[in-house]
Amino acid sequence: MSEKELSKDESLMLISDMITQAKRNLARGGSFYFLLWGWVVLFANLGHYIISKYALYPYPYVVWALTIPAAIASMWYGARKSKYAQVKSHLDSVYGLVWLGVMISVLIILFFLGKVSYNTNAIILTFAGLGTFISGCMLRFNPLIMGGVALWVASVVAFNLPPMDQYLVGAVGILAGYLIPGYLLKKVEGEQV
Amino acid sequence: MSKFRELDPLLHSQLRLAVMSLLIGVDSAEFVFIKEKTGATAGNLSVQLDKLSTAGYISVVKSFKGKKPVTSCSITKVGIKAFEDYVNNLKQYIE
Repeated sequence: MSEKELSKDESLMLISDMITQAKRNLARGGSFYFLLWGWVVLFANLGHYIISKYALYPYPYVVWALTIPAAIASMWYGARKSKYAQVKSHLDSVYGLVWLGVMISVLIILFFLGKVSYNTNAIILTFAGLGTFISGCMLRFNPLIMGGVALWVASVVAFNLPPMDQYLVGAVGILAGYLIPGYLLKKVEGEQV
Repeated sequence: MSKFRELDPLLHSQLRLAVMSLLIGVDSAEFVFIKEKTGATAGNLSVQLDKLSTAGYISVVKSFKGKKPVTSCSITKVGIKAFEDYVNNLKQYIE
């Protein structure tokens, strides 16, 4: 590209082309979080359900300890991605802040387990749906938008079931809301490289 | 008298307009990113970034990532206004 003068049409085409080029690099790597949390939460939900149902161990909630290394891995990945990013956008920051908001909301719910009559899974599915829906809208990625809706549907179903069965609904919701859209997003990210 | 306003000569050049168009949608971008997206040579890009920076349209920050020197550019408020005026003036020619 040189310093040559442009015609009016060339100017418009150049502006539009460069804005598209910059956009392509925005909010990439999001599939990592959906796949990591998708598998961790799916495994924890199923683990909790199976351990409780068959009374394999007196403390079934121990499987949720898996979320601790997942949280550390997420923070490590996020810090690394930010450090090596050649371009920083407001969209990237907002994307991260949406999920920080979801995480804070989930922690508040977990803190008041008893006050929400142990319907934690149903409430967490509502927040997960919100985060996924907003992420899908920000990335203009329809499978994630549908994933958010799937999580909301799962939350409605979960509210109508006893807490124990909510773990099964949670696993199905996470499969539809995180894992399937997460793999589709990964495929698209791979094609963009 | 013509109703058309002059296009900003600083922006009405291929590489400088490309840089401003890249930076308008992001918080900041590194030199290597701009170089890759515009396909410019490092020398020419440096000269044009200097011109935009001197005009106050962009800010250029030099830092280190580990031991590697990094140059980051971001558009300033003056730059955003100049870019918007440029696009609005361009629209007059098209309409």
